[in-house]
Amino acid sequence: MHPQLEILLQIQDLRSQRRELVEGEHFRRMEEEEFHINVEEAVRDLDEKIAEMKAALTPAIRSRFERIDGRGRAVVPVLNGTCYGCFTAVPTSSTGRHGALLTCEHCGSFLYILD
Amino acid sequence: MELREFFNRDLINLNLAGESKDDILRELIALLALDEKSQAILFKMLKRRENLGSTGIGRGIAIPHCRSLVVNRLRVAFGRKPEGVDFKAIDGQPVRFFFLIVAPPLEVSNQYLPVLGKIAQFAKDPDVVGRLAEIETPDQFLALLEQKAD
Ligand SMILES: [Zn+2]
Repeated sequence: MHPQLEILLQIQDLRSQRRELVEGEHFRRMEEEEFHINVEEAVRDLDEKIAEMKAALTPAIRSRFERIDGRGRAVVPVLNGTCYGCFTAVPTSSTGRHGALLTCEHCGSFLYILD
Repeated sequence: MELREFFNRDLINLNLAGESKDDILRELIALLALDEKSQAILFKMLKRRENLGSTGIGRGIAIPHCRSLVVNRLRVAFGRKPEGVDFKAIDGQPVRFFFLIVAPPLEVSNQYLPVLGKIAQFAKDPDVVGRLAEIETPDQFLALLEQKAD
């Protein structure tokens, strides 16, 4: 896996956790009541970690990440040859390139091949 | 939706070998049979979640959970460490029973929260801790899930 993709994946995953805590009312309540976490502290902690991971991106990839980020998810999985950002087919010529940092020709998202 | 639907024998380890929180998390992740890179990313994410506050909810039970792009559908696993391990649980007690839950960032069927809730509910059943300690085979674990769903 491309080392920058590894960072991008982590940023995306951390943001999934953050979004769920901030927007998922039931989820937040579960985390507070069952697991006794302090949501405010947790969100702050996640923000710090996200900033740290973003700083580890190369300038070119970071600016690309920020560009896509406003429009949709920056990193999306490819399942059965389909980009899950825009649901168009990803050419097999590109998914075969292991170790390369791939982006979708249609939506521009960074791709993580799951199949 | 029943918990039993998400488990099979390969997702159950009744004798975890790990002696630390990290070892146990790695062993649980291994049950999902993902590729090495995905396992490494999932480990980091679960650790991030544990750093926000332990998922050890007391009475010897922990429910490590997170969302991650490395899975394409909701995945669960169960592990048991008969002697228990320090998991920084809420009640300070060693943890013996581990339910792992990992969901993709976006799920069509939105099962993550209900499954997490069902497992938390299952764990609160006063009968469950004793039964989990006694089971001898993965099939008995599956049978317990079925029985408690009734
Ligand atoms: Zn796309």
